Amino acid sequence: METFLQQLPTVLHALNIGFLQTLKLFIATLVGAIPLGLLICFGSTSKYKIISGFFNIIIWIVRGTPLMIQLLIIYYFPGLVLHNPVWGGSETGRFMASALAFIVNYACYFSEIFRGGIQGISVGQDEAGLVLGMSKVEIFVHVKLLQMIKRILPPMSNEILTLVKDTSLARIIALQEVIWAGQSFMKGSQGISGEIWPLFFTAFYYLVCNGILTVVLNRLEKKLEFFR
Amino acid sequence: MAILKVEHLSKSFGSTKVLKDICFSLEKSEILSIIGSSGSGKTTLLRCLNFLETPNNGIILVNEKEVFNGKTQKTLTESQKKENRLHFGLVFQSFNLFPQYTALENVTLARKLAAKKEKDYKSRKKEILQEIEEEGIQLLKQMGLEHRMHQYPHQLSGGQCQRVAIARALALKPDILCFDEPTSALDPELTGEVLKVIKELAEQKMTMVIVTHEMAFAKDVSDKVIFMDNGVVLEYGSPEEVFDNPKEERTKQFLGRFINE
Amino acid sequence: MKKMVKFGLAALMGASMLVGCSSSKPAAEETASKTDAEQVVENGKLVVGVTDFAPMDYKDENGNWIGFDADLATAFAKDLGIDVEIIEIDWDNKILELNNKSVDCIWNGMTLTDEVKSSMECSNAYCNNAQVVIVNKDVADKYKDTESLKDLTFAVEAGSAGEEQAIAYELNYTAVQNQANALMEVAAGTSDAAIIDSLMAAAMVGEGTGYEQLTYTVGLNAEEYGVGFRKGSDLAAKLNDFFKKCYEDGTLKEIAEKYGVQASLIEMK
Repeated sequence: METFLQQLPTVLHALNIGFLQTLKLFIATLVGAIPLGLLICFGSTSKYKIISGFFNIIIWIVRGTPLMIQLLIIYYFPGLVLHNPVWGGSETGRFMASALAFIVNYACYFSEIFRGGIQGISVGQDEAGLVLGMSKVEIFVHVKLLQMIKRILPPMSNEILTLVKDTSLARIIALQEVIWAGQSFMKGSQGISGEIWPLFFTAFYYLVCNGILTVVLNRLEKKLEFFR
Repeated sequence: MAILKVEHLSKSFGSTKVLKDICFSLEKSEILSIIGSSGSGKTTLLRCLNFLETPNNGIILVNEKEVFNGKTQKTLTESQKKENRLHFGLVFQSFNLFPQYTALENVTLARKLAAKKEKDYKSRKKEILQEIEEEGIQLLKQMGLEHRMHQYPHQLSGGQCQRVAIARALALKPDILCFDEPTSALDPELTGEVLKVIKELAEQKMTMVIVTHEMAFAKDVSDKVIFMDNGVVLEYGSPEEVFDNPKEERTKQFLGRFINE
Repeated sequence: MKKMVKFGLAALMGASMLVGCSSSKPAAEETASKTDAEQVVENGKLVVGVTDFAPMDYKDENGNWIGFDADLATAFAKDLGIDVEIIEIDWDNKILELNNKSVDCIWNGMTLTDEVKSSMECSNAYCNNAQVVIVNKDVADKYKDTESLKDLTFAVEAGSAGEEQAIAYELNYTAVQNQANALMEVAAGTSDAAIIDSLMAAAMVGEGTGYEQLTYTVGLNAEEYGVGFRKGSDLAAKLNDFFKKCYEDGTLKEIAEKYGVQASLIEMK
């Protein structure tokens, strides 16, 4: 117990730094993948077969392969095959590569959710907008967007909570997120070695984070209950 | 001077001909009812007038100006369609109100968006929005909905929703207001309030095209009646001519079903 | 269509790359105009790939990298007239990281196995090491020779020198992610024993460590630590010269004493 209390500040400090990285990756992914997902969604539902085919193949590849492989390819492909290590070896480079992989991966998942959300809205909404002289963009922004958000919120909440946990995959290219930080005390770090409790402790960070997100997302869902 | 003239209009979906050689015209302040069994092409005709469908052939003139001519132009650009649509208003069978907006917002949304494109919008923003808002309130009052203005569609009854939809269509000041079976989605006890509103509009000399199953109402309110069957105009004339002295056997059969009910 | 073909090609190249690294063959030597040494000098820094591995590379209270290897790497970079950047990597990907040029060298108490020597340009050995067997204290007396190990189940780090020994002695083993996991297996009772580096065992097992109930018994072999560079790199030779210089002027010993590894130091001739 005494050693535990001595180790706690060191461990918490390391976990905090790791979790900051986790959070950064989480936020970067959300900020990037939502607009990109919308773009992919429009692409995959395009009336031009070439465009929709192209995007559907991308969605198939990205959703059909493990994110871990995508991380490895994005980080190592430029240096190993193209002989142009664009990412560099620093933590920043690893973060950028991770963010790119996560954004592309999650954008593809989001795009399918968006597609369902948009297609679930009755064509009557489009037609009502059209006969009122609104443009397609206006109809999307002012009529369908909020209805779509309301529809996709439950499946999006699921993806968002999964994303928080998925960020731990980035450790495959040595992004030092919270699980990496926790595990370092198993191998030995900062004078603490062979301890598994810091790793278990990381679960607490995920729980708190997902707890807060659940509350926020539920509130958002409640907020959108003003219409049906 | 005819406010609306339709000549030899035809429309096919794939190999199915839905409209065949439709001709009719409408004077200002006149009311045209289109009757016929389901699948006869009434709704498609209305959708062609509102450019939700593009006809394959024929001519549509509004105020003697050609808005569509199948001979010279097979397809229309989005902006052409958008411009043409402004001559017409359309009230849907299923209302199609925007659920996230209040009754008043439903009525004013399209005009507010259109106003943004006006040149003097920036300098007169407040004034313009105020004006749109006031006209919207006026329209809803006219519909007898002054106490429902700030409620959302799901808080309103079907009849109230349809009245909001009518106000929404009127807000853009169309030349011709079209109704696509405006009471078909309503409970019988709610149809009266909607029909009453349409009647009031008739008294205010609004030009209207109404697709309906309410035969008594059509007979009462219309200046002209079209009976459609299988994509063709079978009867076209005054309510008396169509309802009391139909020429075609098919019309008699159809009307007979309603009288028996 | 063109785009689709391009994407397909990229995916194929990606797949071949992954096959390529799993067979651990050295990356094709480029006809680069600059040598590795010229390149790092131009970059102004030597990027060193490490793992947290006391006493060779580990972090002090302020999060700065210290240790016998870290200090040596810093001294080497200084000798080249450039800065050092120490980056924590995933040990499984060390060859990838080198070939990807995300790091310039692997300097982390790396055992010079045949696999390492064939896939990296290695420096001369500078430190002795051994692979040792870790068991629970209370049964340690029963396992004093290699013969007695046959009926134990082992946990070893995948691809490590420990695994090579497990294969050589025909032991019954499970490969785990790293040496710490191997220790964890023993502590948790899921394996009877583990094989890890003696330098690590000294730091992690026994009195005053997280694994007080464990101890190490049999030494399986003797081996040596070296520094790995990209295949064909001229930095290996430069490091050998530096080692020699440091051995002669006593700096090497001085740094080793700071971290208690002077006994393992190899003479540089």
